[in-house]
Amino acid sequence: MQRLKEHLNLDQMKRNIVDSQIWRSMFRHGYEDTPRNRVLMVVDNLWLHLHPTKIRRHAIRIRFTWCMGGITFLLFLYLTITGVILMFYYRPVGEYAYIDIKFLEFDAPFGMFMRNMHRWAAHAMVIAVWLHMLRVFMTGSYKPPREFNWVIGVLLLTMTLMLSFTGYLLPWDQLAIWAVTVGTNMARATPLLGNEGPFAELVGVTPRLDARSALLGGTIVGPPTLLRFYVLHCIVIPLIASVLMMVHFWRIRKDGGISGPL
Amino acid sequence: MNPRLKSPELKLPAEYEAEAKSQPVFMDRRRFLNYSGWVGILGSLSVALLGFLRFLFPRVLFEPPTAFKAGPPSDYVPGTVDTRYTLSHRVWIVREPEYFYALSAICTHLGCTPRWLPSEDKFKCPCHGSGFKRSGVNFEGPAPRPLERFKITLAEDGQILVERGKNFRQEKGEWDNPDAKLFV
Amino acid sequence: MAKEDKVIGTADDFPKTSWERVNDKVHVWPYLTRLEFMTAIIITILLIVWSIVVDAPLEEPANPSLTPNPSKAPWYFLGLQEMLVYFDPWMAGVVLPSLIIVGLMAIPYIDVNPKGNGYYCYKDRRFAILTFLFGFLVLWVWLVIQGTFMRGPGWNFFMPWEEWDPHKVVALTNVDLPYLVGFRSYWAQAAFGIFCVGAWYATIPIYYIWRRHTLVNVGFTRYAVKAFLFMTMMALVAKMALRIGLNIKYVLVLPWLNI
Repeated sequence: MQRLKEHLNLDQMKRNIVDSQIWRSMFRHGYEDTPRNRVLMVVDNLWLHLHPTKIRRHAIRIRFTWCMGGITFLLFLYLTITGVILMFYYRPVGEYAYIDIKFLEFDAPFGMFMRNMHRWAAHAMVIAVWLHMLRVFMTGSYKPPREFNWVIGVLLLTMTLMLSFTGYLLPWDQLAIWAVTVGTNMARATPLLGNEGPFAELVGVTPRLDARSALLGGTIVGPPTLLRFYVLHCIVIPLIASVLMMVHFWRIRKDGGISGPL
Repeated sequence: MNPRLKSPELKLPAEYEAEAKSQPVFMDRRRFLNYSGWVGILGSLSVALLGFLRFLFPRVLFEPPTAFKAGPPSDYVPGTVDTRYTLSHRVWIVREPEYFYALSAICTHLGCTPRWLPSEDKFKCPCHGSGFKRSGVNFEGPAPRPLERFKITLAEDGQILVERGKNFRQEKGEWDNPDAKLFV
Repeated sequence: MAKEDKVIGTADDFPKTSWERVNDKVHVWPYLTRLEFMTAIIITILLIVWSIVVDAPLEEPANPSLTPNPSKAPWYFLGLQEMLVYFDPWMAGVVLPSLIIVGLMAIPYIDVNPKGNGYYCYKDRRFAILTFLFGFLVLWVWLVIQGTFMRGPGWNFFMPWEEWDPHKVVALTNVDLPYLVGFRSYWAQAAFGIFCVGAWYATIPIYYIWRRHTLVNVGFTRYAVKAFLFMTMMALVAKMALRIGLNIKYVLVLPWLNI
């Protein structure tokens, strides 16, 4: 027993790992709480180095930031992960889409849970984006030099709503098809570009060839629409949103960090 | 404001700047190459964009057939709105004492399916509350124009033939078209 | 904890110059990262619990011929769906949403007030805050709540204590404003409609001429964009009032478009 205790020296084991060449090739510095390490933790970390190493005191107050931008980003990450998991079982085809959702709910272990998380995180993200915009407005953080980052933020809000809307169709149930019918029929009424909009006759758009049929892939909300919305939901809009997010985060730093009284 | 955020003033090489100031030119070799470079880049991008836009409209659509046979005229009671083909074909067949017409069950507002309410003698849309009279004329709610009517004829076997591909709009005066009504 | 952070808790005890206040900084690690970490954990727990307890809705398979009653857009679009009651689809579904997005993007460029940059305050920017809150709380949040809870079958209005009766009869007979005022001929109606819309937006140059001295540092273009967006937002309110109060369908009727 005594021998065993000597051999099971946990501190020694940890030291062996941490001092090994493999470990030190991945992590360049120790974990002691020293001013130097506090800086290195941020600078030496790909993800954390979005942050500056030091930040003004008021900027860490939840009262000031509401943490809403960060929560939005966190929810976006959850949506990406759960979304990819759902894609393992979902086929965007008219005959299969609805049964695949049923399959997810009843036959895929944790399928219902993943779908719930995806759904509720999406709703929460819309709310978080709104609150983030409200906070930024109330603190006047769109004023110079942050004007353009506000513009990007509005684009991201639009992307969030478009992501939610395209995702709404995918379960292919009554809720989905009618919400999308109503939503896309508005495109039919676009001035100049929609066949029911003002001045449609002058431009010569038809139900077969207008803004709405470009969205739907036909003249009715049908299987081609499902595929089109799937591609928009899973690839096109997330890519655009990711690019915009990168610019958004980068510009916070470049525009002088998080806003505060000058 | 952070002084770093201001861009420094642009300065051209001294001799070029002096020359540019002395004789303003519309076009020289440098400018020509610059502009034609941009025209090339933007031009090829817009051609690619146009090609993609055209790609969004397929040459053939596989959509449900638009014409259907709706049984012999004797199946219909005069003075009623018949809802038996509403679920399958989104059409109401209305028999007035003297003639038939086929009314599209697609709300002219945003494309929901209105409901026929016999007790109130009107069609009512559940999405935004548009109301239409039995003739299809809109009278309440946000619908901007009357319901469309479809071509209705008698097929060779004596059945009613409704063709949804051909529609008639009241606001264009098309309801008087002989194909919009079926006299029996 | 490192020694330099002992200042926390005593930071406000001694007065500071403005330079010191601006440069009163703390390390991101751990003071910000620990907050982010805690927030992430709390949000994750909430999301997981919520997802275990409440199932996402799934209705019957899609059926293109059977519209559920009531038929609603996703809740965050119910404000737009509400506007569809008052305007034609090209206006409510395309023009107004585009104006909302463009208007939001324009905010930093039309608000030239240098005060209130980076802190909460109401006094220094009353107009900006009141306008934004009106748009946000009334025209967005409230319309979403109303659309979710008070619009029942047939998109009829129900108070929270009323039962959603699919056979509720609401007498709605639309008239156009020019007709109501007494114009009967088509062109007189059109002219009156153009006059109404024109008069609404004519307030923009009139106000500019009246207050041009106070608007010097705003500039005409900036003022015009700001006033146009503001008057359009108010036009939405005016049209809603006309519809609810007088059952007005259109103010302006032309062969090409109706407003």
